[in-house]
Parts: sequence; structure tokens; C-alpha cells
Amino acid sequence: MNMIARRTFLQTSALAAVAAAIGARGASAQEPLGIALVLPSPLGDVGWSHTLAAGLDPVKAAYGDAVKITLLENIAEGPDADRIMNKAVADGNKVLIAGSFGYQNGAMQIAKRDPSVTVLHASGFMVAPNFSPFAAKYFQGTYLLGMAAAALSKTGKLGSVSAFAIPELITSVNAFTLGAQAVNPDVEVSVVWVNTWFDPAKEQEAAKALIAQGCDVIFSNAQDTPSVIAACEEAGVYAFNLNSSMKSYAPTRYLGCVATDWSPFFKASVDAHLAGNFVGANAFLGVADQVVEVVDWSPDIPADIMARITETEAKIADGSFTPFTGPITKADDSEGVAAGASMGDAEIVAMDWHVKGVVTPLPQ
Amino acid sequence: MSGMSFILAGMLAAATPFLLAALGELVVERAGVLNLGLEGIMALGAVVAFIVVYHGGGHPAAFAVAALAGCALSLVFGFLALGVRANQVAAGLAVGILGQGLSSLIGNSYESLTVTGLAKWAVPGLADLPVVGGLFVQDIVVWLSLLATAAIWGMFRFSKLGLILRAVGENPQAARAIGYRVIAIRYGAVAFGGAMAGLAGAYASTVYTPLWADGMIAGRGWIALALVVFGTWLTGRIFFGALLFGAVSLASLVAQTEGWAVPSQLLSSLPYIVTIIVLGIITSNKRLLKVNGVASLGEPFGP
Repeated sequence: MNMIARRTFLQTSALAAVAAAIGARGASAQEPLGIALVLPSPLGDVGWSHTLAAGLDPVKAAYGDAVKITLLENIAEGPDADRIMNKAVADGNKVLIAGSFGYQNGAMQIAKRDPSVTVLHASGFMVAPNFSPFAAKYFQGTYLLGMAAAALSKTGKLGSVSAFAIPELITSVNAFTLGAQAVNPDVEVSVVWVNTWFDPAKEQEAAKALIAQGCDVIFSNAQDTPSVIAACEEAGVYAFNLNSSMKSYAPTRYLGCVATDWSPFFKASVDAHLAGNFVGANAFLGVADQVVEVVDWSPDIPADIMARITETEAKIADGSFTPFTGPITKADDSEGVAAGASMGDAEIVAMDWHVKGVVTPLPQ
Repeated sequence: MSGMSFILAGMLAAATPFLLAALGELVVERAGVLNLGLEGIMALGAVVAFIVVYHGGGHPAAFAVAALAGCALSLVFGFLALGVRANQVAAGLAVGILGQGLSSLIGNSYESLTVTGLAKWAVPGLADLPVVGGLFVQDIVVWLSLLATAAIWGMFRFSKLGLILRAVGENPQAARAIGYRVIAIRYGAVAFGGAMAGLAGAYASTVYTPLWADGMIAGRGWIALALVVFGTWLTGRIFFGALLFGAVSLASLVAQTEGWAVPSQLLSSLPYIVTIIVLGIITSNKRLLKVNGVASLGEPFGP
């Protein structure tokens, strides 16, 4: 106990010393702009954290030595993350990118305390003048992959291994289902909510359970490891995932990837920060913003379907089509979206119901 | 394939990491030592085994290296708990955290890579049975861990070694008085437990889910620890406990694909709820605790 107290004391005093040094140095100009990226998982070759880190490469390329990027990986949400973000800002970083929903409160406190810091926060909802939440319109991509999935499925049963039943993930599953129905109206989608962000063994078992039920295309929804993709390749069923391509794990059965490229958003935010005109706003970015793009399309997709997909993608990009356009019926047969109407961003980010065609009931 | 046959086919493999680690811990606890570092030892075993398989060393070598690594890390715990008689709970937690840290350090450049698992071996005849057939198609490690369960059961029930281990755990003073080297025997038990936890980790990262990702043990070491208590320190009950945990973890997935009217969150937490209930029952029943519990568990012993 004694040791712990002592260590905490040492850390605190070290922090205080650093803070004092920064305060004294603050007057001098022309320091490189410090950008700190805090990541919830280890920085692998694929997955969410990898995508965020890769989004900073063009910033580095554009500014060179004028920016200094610090990556802080595998930071658990909670008090530890707050401490590390505070330390990053005390060390002189002026742009803080908080890469996980759970960093929201800590990051917001930093933004409120220090208006000279610009905070970008992944998938949150809070906004402040120097605080922008950002999220990707994955649903635009999963709709397109749903079309491909329905075309390739022999059983008419599709599956999804999904982390938690939260609106962002529900939306992706719904759009996937709607896209599939656009090709084959009778398609059924089963979802397994594994109720964990990270358990490769459980994710793989979930994929196998879906395959055992006859699902022959699997959507790996928000899984950071290739567990699901690798299991699907082994079982000979098609699979796709979000964020970064996992084609190397499923050379023959990879359907495609709803890739996210954060660099346009990061670059624009850093530009605005340096110009002194950054304004915090909700950044919900998609195909039109060049943040979401489907890559590594499977060569097995029939040419006529691929043509339809390309056409739909163009319509999504120019705004003439959105996946959530009525009439959409909910899984409980009530009306979701009226004919002719379409859902706005605010409704989409709060979606808590399944569309008809998703056969698994939503956990309450 | 129906949901039931899916659970039957998968539960043995799902149970194997729990079973191997829990069997090792059973021997450790029977000898009167409480090693809470299982999670970290499993993680270390998992990463070293993965690296060996990834570089083409093959599964037998990978399991051997994982057992050695687990053994080595548990001996660090052994030195703290037995050599310098540190508090066993604190020493175990510290070694567990050390193991997890080491595993993410060693595995850093292997993050999210995959390897090929092991082929399954079917029992001729039985594998073709309807519904239960899948139960008889398993990889070699599953079959070997069933043998290990039987061996440890037999060791405690019939062998002199089993009696010595129990004597050391029940009353180390008496065991020492009749000439047994209590500390040496406990070191041996701790090393064995570490090796088993290493094997459990190796199974998780190279056979069950053949990939490495930091944190992939995801609490299985803690479940293995709970299983030892759940099974009231009896081999047979630990075996059935591990099977139950494996089956329930699969059932929580199948429930959703089959559309059972049970909330998935409830099923996901069922193993933990059952453990708490069993813990409640055995600790409230003094007689049960006395009959099966280990009298000197967690108490430092020295001359």
C-alpha cells in the first residue's frame, strides 16, 4: 500500500513539474503542432485503431516537421484514459484525437478547461466550440455489400456477428438487410450480439453458430480482429468487415470492406486549428465526404449486380439516394419510414429498431 | 445443423482452455497455494505458442514452449509466495499483471496475425451418430486434455503422490513432521500449474482461435480460477463445470441464431451467475467447505 501511495505521489509531482515547464515555455512560438491520438486497442495492421492512425499519415505528409504526432495505443476507457489525455495536453499537444466513445467525458473536460486545445472525439454526441465528435456513415457501405451478399447467397440466409446492440451497429445491420432485400426481397438476416468489444474466440464461435444455421455470407460488424473473417474463409462462406481490409485473411471468400479513411477530416480539422477558425460540429461523414468507401470487392459478384452497386454508390455519393428511404417496415410490422420520406442524420444516429427481414429479436 | 448439435460439437473445444488451466490450478490449490496469476500465465503461453507456430515451428513445439514459459512465470510467483513468503494473493495478482504486460510486449509485432489450427480427429463410428456425432470430432488436444483429466483424477484418488499433495495442503506442519519437503513439493505443484496454464493459453491462440490479439484470453483465466472453487476442489466436478461453462458460452450465441426468447445478455452472464450461486452455497455450508476445501490454502508456510 505504501509503495502505491508513493508511486502516485511521484507521478503527480512529475505531472506538476511538466505542467509548470509547459506553462513557462508557452510564450515561445514556432513549436511544432503537437497532435496526440489516443487509441482503445493495440495498433495492429488492421482494424479501428489502425484506421485512425493511418488517417494522420496525410497530415504528417502535408505538414512534415511542423507537426509532431504522438500515438497512445491500448488505453483502457476510464480514469486511466483521462489521466493519459491530460498528460498528453500538459505535454504540449494542441490537437487531441480521442479514439473511443468512452473517452468522451474526460476529453470534454479538457476541451472546456483549455480553449486553445482542439478535440476530435470518435462516435460521441457532445459538441463544444473546440470539440467535434466524428462518426462514419458505415450504413452507406453496408447497404452496398448487402446487395452483393444477396446476389452470392445460395441459402438466402445472411448473418452478422455484432458487438453491442447500439444505434451505430444496428444501423449498419439494417442497411445491410435493406441492401440485400433490394436484390432478393426474401432474404433473412440473423444477428449474434456477442456483448463484448473484444473476445476473438467468442466472435469466431458466433460466426460458426451462424454458419451452422445456414448463413452463407457473414458481416463482421465492429470486430477489430480477423477472427470472424478467418473462420468464414475456413468454412467457405463469404465475409466482409468494416474499417480496414482483411482480404489477406480470406483470399478466396472476401466480399469487400467498408473502409474508412479519416484523413480528409483530420486534415481539414488540423488546417482549421492552425488557421484559428476551428468550429466544433457534429461530423457524420460518408461516401460523399470520401471518408467511407467500399474497397476490395470480390471478383465473384455477378457483373449485372456489380453494375447496380456502382450505380447505387454514385447515387449515394451525389445525395440522390439514401439507404433509409421509405417505405421501410420495422421487424414488428409497424411502419418505420413512410413511403417517400427518408430518415435524417439525427434519426439515423438514434435508430433502435430492426427493419423487417432481420429475424433475430433486438436485445432489450 | 441444429443448435443443440452445434453446442454438443463445440462445447469440448470451448471448455478445453478452462479445463487445462483449472486442472493445473487444482493441483496448486490442493498443495495449499493460491495462484491468482492464471490469466497472465495463459496470455504468456498463448503468445509464445503463437509465435512458434507462426514461424513454422509446429504445434508440438509450440505447446512445449508455452508449457515452459508458463512454468517459468509461475516459478516467479513460486519464489515470491514460497521463497520469500510474500502474501500469495498479492504475489499472484502481480505475476498475472506481469504476464499480461509481457504478452502484449512480446506479441506487439504479431498483432492480428493468423495461423492454421489443428485438424480434427473423429472417433470412427460414433462420429456419424445423429445430433451427438459432433461430440466425437475433436482435435487431438481435446482428446489429450480428457486423458489429463482422468490422469489427475486417478492421481488424487489412487496414488501416493496425490496423498502427499493433499497432506501438504491440509496440514503442512504435519507433512513436514513426517519428513516431506513441503516447500519443494509446493514448488513442484506451482510449476505444474503454470505449465498447464501455458498449455491452456497455447490452445486458445493456436487451435481454438488461431490468431494472436492482445487481450485475447479475455478473462478465461479468471473463469478457470472460479471453476476450481465451483468444482469444490474435485476433479470430476471441475471437468463438468468446464463443460457447463463451454456449453453455456455457446448457448448464448445459439440462442440468438435460433431466436430463443432469452435475453443474450443474461446468457452471456450465466456462467458468472452460476459461479456466484455455487460460491454462496459452499461458503455458507461449513460442512461442505470443511470436507472438500483445502485447510491451509493461501497460508504462507515456513520452518
